[in-house]
Amino acid sequence: MRKNLLVFVTSVLFFCCKEEEKKTADNDAPSKIETPVKVLPPVTHYTVPDHSPMDMVYFPADYPLLKMAGKTTALPLMRIIYSRPQKEKRKIFDGLVKYNSPWRLGANEATEIEFFSAAKIQNKTIKPGRYILYCIPQETKWTLVLNSNLYSWGLEQNRQKDLMQFEVPVEKNTVIIEYFTIATEKRSDKDAEIIFLWDDVKTKLSVSF
Amino acid sequence: MRKIFVLFVFSFSFLYSFSQTKLPEVDKSPMDVSYYPGNYPILKIQNKATEPLVARVLYSRPQKQGRKIFGELVEYGKVWRLGANEATEIEFHKDVKIGGKKVAKGRYTLYALVYENTWTMILNKDTDTWGAFKYDSKKDVLRTDVPVEKTDEVVESMSMWFEKTTSGMSLIIAWEQVKVSLPITL
Repeated sequence: MRKNLLVFVTSVLFFCCKEEEKKTADNDAPSKIETPVKVLPPVTHYTVPDHSPMDMVYFPADYPLLKMAGKTTALPLMRIIYSRPQKEKRKIFDGLVKYNSPWRLGANEATEIEFFSAAKIQNKTIKPGRYILYCIPQETKWTLVLNSNLYSWGLEQNRQKDLMQFEVPVEKNTVIIEYFTIATEKRSDKDAEIIFLWDDVKTKLSVSF
Repeated sequence: MRKIFVLFVFSFSFLYSFSQTKLPEVDKSPMDVSYYPGNYPILKIQNKATEPLVARVLYSRPQKQGRKIFGELVEYGKVWRLGANEATEIEFHKDVKIGGKKVAKGRYTLYALVYENTWTMILNKDTDTWGAFKYDSKKDVLRTDVPVEKTDEVVESMSMWFEKTTSGMSLIIAWEQVKVSLPITL
C-alpha cells in the first residue's frame, strides 16, 4: 500500500512538474488558469497600467494565435474588448453591481463587441459591425443589451441607442472568480457561447454565425 | 492509510479539475488603449468632445522589470510588434496621411523595425495577428522612418498616446529611455 502511494505521489509530482515546464516554455501563449497578476505600482509620470486591465477575446478563441500557428486561414467571426475589474473581497452582485441598473460588463470604457459576419442571437439577426454590450443584472437573470453608442465610457448608457436585448439565466460557479472574465467557447465552427464570469456568478449567451 | 489515500486522490482530482478551468488569465502585459482626441470616451459621455474620434490604438504593455530593452529584449534590425501578445492595432476613423502617403480609414497593424537612432514604422494590412512572427512585408501599406529621442526618466511600462500637433496628431511611443513620435496629418 505504502509503495503504491509512493508511486502515485511520484507520478503526480512528475506530472505537475511537466505541466509547469510546459507553461514556462510557452509563456508567450495565454495560459488557461485564473491566476490574478497584480499590476506593478506606478513608477513614472508616463501612463501606468490600469488597475482593471483591458483584455480582448475572439471567436474562434485565441484567433490571433491560431492564425500565427497556421491553424486557420478563415477570418475571425467575433471580437470582444473589455476591462477586467477585480473582486478584491467585495460583494459584487447586489453590492458593487446593483440589480436592475445598467452595468458596463467590466470597467472603464463600455464593453465593445464586434461581429465580423452577420450573427444570430435568440433568433434575432445582427448585422456585421461593432456595438457596445452592457448588462442589466438581476438575481436570477441578466438582460444583455446591444447598443450603438460606440467609444463611450461605460458609466453612462444612452438608452435611446439600444438596439436589441437578450435575457439569459444566472448560474452559480463552484469557485469564486477574482477577475471579471469574458470567454468564448466553441459549440461548432459557427456556434459560439459567450461566457461571463465574476464572483460566484456565471451567464452564457449563445451566438450563431 | 487507505482513508488518507482516498482523501489525497480526492483533493488532488479537485485541484486538477480546478486547474483545468479554461479561463483567460490576467495578462502580465495588460492591454491598453489610447485615442485621438485623448480620453475620447470620457469626453463623449460628458458632451465635451469638440472633434470626432480620429484614431484608436490597441496594444499590450510589457514592463521593463530591470531588463535592458532596446538592443537586447527588442533586437535591433528586427520587426517588433510594438508591445506584447497580439500585434498592435491602429484604427483610423477617417482618411489620414502618414509620411506623405494617404492612409484610408480602417484597421491596420502597426509594427516597428527598431534601430538605435531611428525606427522604421510599418503600417500593415494583416490584422488580428499575434506578434510579428508571421509579418509579411507584401501586406505593408507604408513604411516611414522616425528619429529616436531619449526620455529623462526610465519608462517602466511601454506607453503609447496621441498628442495634438499643428497638422493633426502624433502617436508617441515610449519605453525604457526611448521615445519616438509618428506624425499623422489630417
